[in-house]
Amino acid sequence: MAGAPESIVDRLSDGGPDWLATQRKEALASWASQSMPTSKEEEWRYVDLDFDIDDYRPVDGAGDPLDIDEFSGAILATSGRATVVDGWPGDVEPGRVNLGTIERFLDLPSVTDRYGTAVDPAQSIFAAAQRALAPGGLVIHVPSGVAIDDPVVVDLQAVTPGSVSFPHVSIVMEENTEVSVVVISRSAPGIDVLHIPTIEAFVGDAGRLSLTTIQNHDRRAKSVANHKIVLGRDSTLKIGEVGLGAGYGRQRLAVDLNGAGASVQMNGVYFGDSDQVLDYRVFVTHRGPKTASNIFLKGAVQDQAQAVWTGLVRIESEAVGTSAFETNRNLVLSEGARVNSVPNLEILTDDLQCGHGSSSGPLEEEHLYYLMSRGLQKDRAERLLVRGFFEEMITKLPVKSLAGPSREAVNRKYGEAQREGRV
Amino acid sequence: MADRPALDVHNLKVSVGDVGILKGLDLTVPFGEVHAIMGPNGSGKSTLSHVLSGKSGYEVSGDVWLDGEPLLVMDVDQRARAGLMQAFQYPVQVPGVGLGSFVLEAGAAQGIAASDMNEKVSAAADAVGAGPFLERAINDGLSGGEKKRSEIFQIVALQPKVAILDEIDSGLDIDAVRDVADAVQALRGPGVGIVLITHYSRILEHVTPDRVHVMMDGTVVDTGGPELADELEEGGYQSIRNRLGLTSRAPDPGTTDEGSTPFDF
Repeated sequence: MAGAPESIVDRLSDGGPDWLATQRKEALASWASQSMPTSKEEEWRYVDLDFDIDDYRPVDGAGDPLDIDEFSGAILATSGRATVVDGWPGDVEPGRVNLGTIERFLDLPSVTDRYGTAVDPAQSIFAAAQRALAPGGLVIHVPSGVAIDDPVVVDLQAVTPGSVSFPHVSIVMEENTEVSVVVISRSAPGIDVLHIPTIEAFVGDAGRLSLTTIQNHDRRAKSVANHKIVLGRDSTLKIGEVGLGAGYGRQRLAVDLNGAGASVQMNGVYFGDSDQVLDYRVFVTHRGPKTASNIFLKGAVQDQAQAVWTGLVRIESEAVGTSAFETNRNLVLSEGARVNSVPNLEILTDDLQCGHGSSSGPLEEEHLYYLMSRGLQKDRAERLLVRGFFEEMITKLPVKSLAGPSREAVNRKYGEAQREGRV
Repeated sequence: MADRPALDVHNLKVSVGDVGILKGLDLTVPFGEVHAIMGPNGSGKSTLSHVLSGKSGYEVSGDVWLDGEPLLVMDVDQRARAGLMQAFQYPVQVPGVGLGSFVLEAGAAQGIAASDMNEKVSAAADAVGAGPFLERAINDGLSGGEKKRSEIFQIVALQPKVAILDEIDSGLDIDAVRDVADAVQALRGPGVGIVLITHYSRILEHVTPDRVHVMMDGTVVDTGGPELADELEEGGYQSIRNRLGLTSRAPDPGTTDEGSTPFDF
């Protein structure tokens, strides 16, 4: 899709609804007013980006899709599958949910009123570019009263070298609904791409959303994800995160607990090696009374990898009777690896229960001694401890069939480093 | 070869920094025997068990043989595979590592076939009553007594040549002491020398030791048969000191080895 962003926006919007064209144009204006972020900005502290969005090219269609991967392959029973290649929705196998591109939902105000509204383009140049240049995105709509067990699997792929792509997934859940969505992000081996996905979810009153994100890009890819989930009254959100790939892999996740009694539980693992930078920014806002959040991620870094985790939980004055907990634990497995782990609570009410915890360090000597004192060789004991460290999170991933490949992926990373003498 | 030593310790000296803890300790435990090591707090009992297991942080000299093999040159894991294992007084909790799968791994590290090890694990779990802990992370949420049971279960399953049981009876009520004692009896056999380190003589009411060694200030000051434990029961460590003409050290704060009886149930 050669040409200036203006012409791309015009072409994307050609024949589409006016409101979407307006969204794109406003985002384009926001993009023009922003520049690449630097580590001086609070939300980008601790990282120095070594790439520029202008170095990558938008593409006007999908490249060849990849073969199925071990994560989507592990999920045997689904309620629908969709593949999005280079930002362009491709194959859709509808199941028991309404699954398709936004064009299919233009007569449904609960979708059109919300689509594309969750992430503010002013938030970053990436968010603005995403809103301006995303082709018509994928919509998962759950009609009122419908509850579905088996997950909807969305496979986001970047396959065209040098491309920047903007996948968009919009989950709209009416009242008293339940759905599980798994979103896998990955790229073709050995190619440099910039992947800027957004997942937005609107959970209606008494809705139950389980969202699992797997970031398994090739090491040459850069990934800048901006996700936002808005929760209604008495709704629940379970998030699972597995972060493995990308040279730079960022996930900015915002959760707004707007309705009374809404809750979020997030559990995740990430593992960085070589010179990977895995960058997590989690924002939870408690607006409704009696809302609850529990955010717990565990990560490991080795070689020269860096992990960043900042959690900002804000409790508004009207959010009385709230409970808010955030925890981040990190294993630093080589001397050259580093972690910035910063939990923050911003509390505007005094009627709450809250806590935060953060730690970063090597494997515990006492644990190693114990395991070795029963005859386990040091490397075997270390593998068992690394596996044990992640196990607490892996068993809490909302989709049980993803535990196996997640466990194998983190164990493989550590096992390879051990065999090569890097840890 | 009834008297072949499972463990042979000669002139063992251990210090941490400038502080000497073990001061030329000798100890020989033949296969098939249970030796109790008794001593007041601070006499060096736990240091002895950690040094034998190979914990780092100690300066060590002297000679130790495990079934004729020099022990002190081995790493922690090599010692265990060579046949020396310890039931810890204060075992750590290891998150995410299941007890059952850990013991299977430990068996694999010794080259025991998985099917054989599975049998050993079930038999040991039945013998010691550790079945409920197998699926849990090591020591995760276990009570004091359950931790002791979990420790001795591992020793029974892994069948070392030398089992060091460090205060396996401490902090337990009388019923739990009997259970642990039963487990020690189950462990007893011609292929193992057992070192039973204890503060109190109460476990010895259930496990009759072949020899009793009294440790004070870093050495074994007296060795005898089960009657030595009876002497301790009656007169405390002071009675031993008086008999041997030893001067009393200043008491450690919080210890019970001076004056009144340490055998408070």
